[in-house]
Amino acid sequence: MNWTLMWDSLPRLLAALPLTLTLVFAALACGGVIAFVTALLRLSDYRPLVWTIKTYVFAFRGTPLLVQIFLLYYGLGQFDAVRTSVLWPFLREPLWCAILALSLNTGAYTCEILRGALQSVPAGQVEAARACGMSRTLAFRRIVLPIAFRQMLPTYGNEIILMVKASSLASTITMMELTGVARKIIAQSFAVFEIFILAGVIYLALNFVASQAIRLGEKRLQPCG
Amino acid sequence: MDDHCISALADASPVHRHPPPNPAAPLAVELEDIHKSYGPLEVIKGVSLSAREGDVITLIGSSGSGKSTLLRCINLLEIPNSGAIRISGETIGLKTGRLGRTEPADHKQVERLRTRLGMVFQSFNLWSHMTILQNIIEAPVHVLGVPKAEAIDHARMLLDKVGILSKADSYPVQLSGGQQQRAAIARALAMQPKVMLFDEPTSALDPELVGEVLRVIRQLAEEGNTMVLVTHEMAFAREVSSEVVFLHQGRIEEQGHPDKVLTNPDSERVRQFLSRHLSS
Repeated sequence: MNWTLMWDSLPRLLAALPLTLTLVFAALACGGVIAFVTALLRLSDYRPLVWTIKTYVFAFRGTPLLVQIFLLYYGLGQFDAVRTSVLWPFLREPLWCAILALSLNTGAYTCEILRGALQSVPAGQVEAARACGMSRTLAFRRIVLPIAFRQMLPTYGNEIILMVKASSLASTITMMELTGVARKIIAQSFAVFEIFILAGVIYLALNFVASQAIRLGEKRLQPCG
Repeated sequence: MDDHCISALADASPVHRHPPPNPAAPLAVELEDIHKSYGPLEVIKGVSLSAREGDVITLIGSSGSGKSTLLRCINLLEIPNSGAIRISGETIGLKTGRLGRTEPADHKQVERLRTRLGMVFQSFNLWSHMTILQNIIEAPVHVLGVPKAEAIDHARMLLDKVGILSKADSYPVQLSGGQQQRAAIARALAMQPKVMLFDEPTSALDPELVGEVLRVIRQLAEEGNTMVLVTHEMAFAREVSSEVVFLHQGRIEEQGHPDKVLTNPDSERVRQFLSRHLSS
């Protein structure tokens, strides 16, 4: 074990954290919005929309995230229509491609988590809300959504942790986030074991913080503490 | 409101009888020729029923007779296929919607009328993510627009009335069934409804918890509240009702004063039902 190398590499790895965190937070935020909208549409009565959402979820849950990232970053550029479109300035940037792929991926998983949570809200509690004169929207906002959020939190915590780890795939499209930087240091020093151990420990630390935050959230939202 | 407490009232008049219906009182609820089917199964086959202010009408009958469905038609938790519903003289507009199903013509009207109808469910249906106090102030604050401080004062008074003021800050899961049902009654009362609807309020309770809930309902009856209730508690029905309605297979088999229907019914079916229920 080359402890000196590990110690010396630590600042360079930590300097990559902001990009990793950017990827994770951007993906969770966009994915959250995607999931909220798609889960509502998925539960609507409108068949074509329901099928569209089902197809989206099926496609993004059923294929590897790495394939999705490659398709977006390397694949789309081969079409003239994409290269001449207004989206090209975004789609040619690895950062936006990575965020897009991660968002669509976590959006698909979270859509299913949220849908399950919304459907698990006891019908009687919704009925009680309607019976005292609440409109559908008010009942959804005041009763259904808060109960569903509590319900989905543990499962969603899992999804956050998976996203932290999935962000490492962005390194395959030139992003110098934690894993990207680790690989670069390894290319220069050949100290595979030391550097990946170090990167692993940093991911572990990130997910420790994430899981503690989720536990805190669960505790605060748990009826009867 | 006054400040008398339940335990005092419970001892006061164990043989209280509801006064006979007052034919001059205004109509609170009217159901006219209600029909309700689930697919090919017709559960309500043309029932008309009316409750005047101050009436306590009890719906009885064996399970599957349609009594709960009928009760739920009053606040449109079930939408009848045909028939008319009037609340304090106001007819609820119904129309035939997509797929030939009946639906409210104006959801706003239904929501407004529902605020005047307090509903108590068999399974309490308290909102699990809120404390008891939050449960009670929720609809007054967010539906009626009552100022929060005022709603809290009223809620505390109601919790005191149903005897669970000490549970105000507890969550529903921390309460016994009887306490939850009393909280649910307080939640319904918080809207200051014109009519209270009870859908088998004691059927989900352990036998030893039934009494505390019936005491609260009895008190409400004695205070002159208009109520329609579905129950299997025959002795209780006889005590509090101004009218008993016996339903059989979606039709009214017999209706009238509790002393008549529950002790000396004309219908052989009612007789059989009572003998089964009183023997058990």
